[in-house]
Amino acid sequence: MFLINCPYCKESRDQNEFSPAGEAFIARPQNPEALTDEEWADYVFYRTNHKGDHWEQWVHTSGCRKYFLVKRSTISHEVKEVATFGEVKGESAS
Amino acid sequence: MRLENRSSNLVDYTQPLSFLFNNKAYKGFKGETLASALIANDVLYFARSFKYGRKRGIIGAGVEEPNALVSLEIGGRYTPNMKATEVMLYDGLSAVSSSNPNSIDFRAMIKPLHRFMPAGFYYKTFIKQKVWSIVEDRLRSLSGFSKAPSETDEDVYDHIFQHAEVLVIGGGVAGMTVALEVLTNSKTARVILVDERMNLGGELINEFETDQSSIQWYQENINKLREYRDAENARLKILTSSTAYAWYDHNYIEVLQTNATGQSTSKDGVQSARKILHKIRTKEVILATGAHERPMLFETNDLANIMLSQSVRRYLNEFNVIGGKEVVLYGNNDSIYSTAIDLNNHKISCKVVDVRAPGNESEVVIQVKNLGIQVLQGFAVIKAKGASRVNGVEISSVENQAKPPQWKSKWRLAGDTQTLNCDLLATSGGFNPVVHLDCHCGGKTYFDENSQSFLAQKNRNNRQVCGSVNSIGFWQDAIIDAKNKAQSTLQSLGELKESSHQTLSNKCFNYFNVDQFFTPIEILNKPKVFIDLQNDVTTLDIALSIREGYRSIEHIKRYTAMGFGTDQGKTGNINGIAVAAEFLEVPMSEVGTTTFRPAYTGVDFGAMAGREVGGFFDPQRYTTIHNSHVESGAEFEVVGQWYRPWFYPKNGEDMHQAVNRECRAVRSSLGMMDASTLGKIDIQGKDAREFLSRVYTNAWMKLAPGSCRYGLMCNEKGMIIDDGVSTCINDNHFIMTTTTGGAASVYATLEMWLQTEWSHLDVHLSSVTDQFSTIAVVGPNARKLMEVICQDVAFESKKFKFMQWRPGIICGVKARIMRISFSGELAYEINVEANYGRFIWDEVARAGKEWNITPYGTESMHVLRAEKGYIIVGQDTDGSMTPMDVDMNWILAKNKSFSYIGRRSFSISALNSKDRLQLVGLLTKDEQVVLPEGAHIISNKGISIGYVTSSYFSATLGRSIALAQLKGGLSKMSEIVLVKIVQEKQGLKEIPCEVSSSVFYDVNGIRVDGNE
Repeated sequence: MFLINCPYCKESRDQNEFSPAGEAFIARPQNPEALTDEEWADYVFYRTNHKGDHWEQWVHTSGCRKYFLVKRSTISHEVKEVATFGEVKGESAS
Repeated sequence: MRLENRSSNLVDYTQPLSFLFNNKAYKGFKGETLASALIANDVLYFARSFKYGRKRGIIGAGVEEPNALVSLEIGGRYTPNMKATEVMLYDGLSAVSSSNPNSIDFRAMIKPLHRFMPAGFYYKTFIKQKVWSIVEDRLRSLSGFSKAPSETDEDVYDHIFQHAEVLVIGGGVAGMTVALEVLTNSKTARVILVDERMNLGGELINEFETDQSSIQWYQENINKLREYRDAENARLKILTSSTAYAWYDHNYIEVLQTNATGQSTSKDGVQSARKILHKIRTKEVILATGAHERPMLFETNDLANIMLSQSVRRYLNEFNVIGGKEVVLYGNNDSIYSTAIDLNNHKISCKVVDVRAPGNESEVVIQVKNLGIQVLQGFAVIKAKGASRVNGVEISSVENQAKPPQWKSKWRLAGDTQTLNCDLLATSGGFNPVVHLDCHCGGKTYFDENSQSFLAQKNRNNRQVCGSVNSIGFWQDAIIDAKNKAQSTLQSLGELKESSHQTLSNKCFNYFNVDQFFTPIEILNKPKVFIDLQNDVTTLDIALSIREGYRSIEHIKRYTAMGFGTDQGKTGNINGIAVAAEFLEVPMSEVGTTTFRPAYTGVDFGAMAGREVGGFFDPQRYTTIHNSHVESGAEFEVVGQWYRPWFYPKNGEDMHQAVNRECRAVRSSLGMMDASTLGKIDIQGKDAREFLSRVYTNAWMKLAPGSCRYGLMCNEKGMIIDDGVSTCINDNHFIMTTTTGGAASVYATLEMWLQTEWSHLDVHLSSVTDQFSTIAVVGPNARKLMEVICQDVAFESKKFKFMQWRPGIICGVKARIMRISFSGELAYEINVEANYGRFIWDEVARAGKEWNITPYGTESMHVLRAEKGYIIVGQDTDGSMTPMDVDMNWILAKNKSFSYIGRRSFSISALNSKDRLQLVGLLTKDEQVVLPEGAHIISNKGISIGYVTSSYFSATLGRSIALAQLKGGLSKMSEIVLVKIVQEKQGLKEIPCEVSSSVFYDVNGIRVDGNE
């Protein structure tokens, strides 16, 4: 049961107010039709399943309904950082 | 029996109570446990064991008890598998053994066979004979404990959210000290102190008998704690009779509190809870959870009146009761000596058998010797004598091997045996620190050779460990340890800069002065050396599991069932690890422990549910027209929390008759339906049109204001997730409708695309499901009715075409009227502001009398749409269907500039396989047979090749119709397939059906214009 600090509401709230929305920084390809089946499948299905600090998307479902970014350790579940889109860039994600 | 000289801090001897155990009446006193009262009444047998049905007595005094399982009360108050050691006595209590020790028991009758029934016996025997499925039920009913409850729980349960800076788990010496230290040295920290027992003090109460200073310390400190608790704006909460049973991420801890009576109480008409589930979020956790004693191992160590030494001591000191007159104390550590002193004080005869050789003795051993108590050092109990209760012990001298291998027990039996008589045997094999909670979310343990125990890892953020859980066995040292840990906690909270830790005295008698596990192989190879009393696991079962190739303690546990059950191996597990180490020939530290997971103790389902039962289980959503449906006698169906009219029975009609009547009315004249529950999303912004064409598969750029269009929504995998009609109000404003059940998830998905990928689009979404009431007027006479109730709209077919909408005034109310149809008939959907819903519904009903307007429910709606082959997302599709699979290629736009969601996936080869499940119609050869939904279509080899998704009797067509997913179905038109169904009294039957188009009625769609 995580405690998540919503970057919009600026309050730490219990996990059950939020919903996870998958790995962050997976951009929708600009031109899907130009991709091979493998490249498209990589976007649709494949995720890094990273061990360690991991950027993911969460949405404050029972709150402000905003999507935002959470950097969470997949080992200890510690939330290291929260951010709105644009505050951090995909390249800086570890 | 009860002692004659009674002086208990806990029991109130002025308040006698009556209770029943196994239907026999007994007397006890307020403040004692059921176990204590039964020992006082000389009850020996509490229950039978799980597998062998052996009669068992009590061995513990608290949460660790494996044997004394009882069920409480009957009917709605029935509670199974309670530990008698944890049930507080109340007047009129009625308890029954989980497995009656006094009745004839089949498991006990086959006692001579028990030696041939090791771990895995039943399974291995019957699985080979291929009769497991036949005997399984019987075997399971033979074994086991209390029966599951069969009636609704009458009691009430509550949840309370708690917030604190510091949570102290365990209210013994260490817990009390650490709580006080934090409160004293911080001005702001809020503290919650939790203990599973009725009173604070823990094991310190046992020292009162022999140590005056302990009483003084207790009185002083309990008073200080009470002052903090009772102060104005108190920062301290004390929860007793409360077990912290789970520690989840981010310091979220669940605590279950039982009220004093063990039942809901009612006062002034207010019911208070039987149990309260405290949901505690804290910054710092301090574990002062103490330690459980573990028993010694020897042959037939499960006889009644073989108990743990400290439990005997607790019964003696806390409750003034004892189960025997002649006691033998046996162990490998100093704790048995403290019990000996207390027994001697009460003039109960005892002898001490200590496996440790003489020499290097601590103060307490010398003290016992000076009291004249017989002490046999260098001796071990090798067998308990007696049929079902202990009446003596066989002891043997032991010697130390000169140089044992690292993993081997250093002990060896020297063979010099003798017999001692006794009627109570108290043993101690050392202590197991209660590290369970610390391991619930990531904590690790390590084996400490010094204390011969598994301890919690040294450093962890926001967590301290103090007292005997930290292997500190002298109460004054526990105080020092607790003060040190309080400083560390305050530092972590940022309320203390520098800490000055005191060192422990270590000079006095110490419970953790424990010698090695006494596991010589001669003892382990004997039968009936029980490790887990609750599950009847013996040393030989562990040996067998290792012979069969299991090495990990996790596998050994699962093969033997060691540590399963309600006690979770609190007394047995660590001994089991020692035994496994001996057989595996590795050190204990290499064997390690099994994983500790929540919950530490059993948790009532009622407590988990709290008040969220019955009407509070799930929100119920009603449309504003709901009361009218109730007045009309509608039956309701729950669709995504909405209560929707299912059908409207008249004059004792059953569902079938009502639905036939409703459908005929719609097809022949006029029907009306409450469609308010459909999800409605208001979409505004200059990119609204672009947005729709990205999330729907078809074209939206040219949809003119005043028009509506059906859309199909897919996910990126190309699978259908929703459908519905969207209306163009103007170029920057659309209203999307979604399925009733999908409204929330569709809304969330749309928001996700807007917020994460397309934040540059000027689009704003609002859910307006609750803001509008929708009334569908359906049937060939719909236009005539609309012309009566709405004068400012031209309803002629040419002026107001199918898939168009018009604003209008109906009975003075502003409305949006959409000409759309989910039945194939001429239909108008009237949308008005929600609060006018009932008014318009009534007006429509009144005006419609001329055409015998008939309200219809979801069942008729399903039949009508199935006749037309319209799919229901979620019923005819299941998240693995593409638009091609449901024969809707026509809705896939080819020339959109943006590659809409899901489009790329449609060209993946797997989604274009001819072999995919595809939506078809099925017509049974026998027109009267209605296929059950979910029935499988089978190939001539008997393998499933699809299944029925929708199936109804169509009154209009006078025959049954069905929709089905069939492998390669779209190329199997007119073929005959078999659907396997179960018919009452006739068993399995194969029904021949013809594969058909999924459109059964009005194939050319001419009815949509209705009667002119």
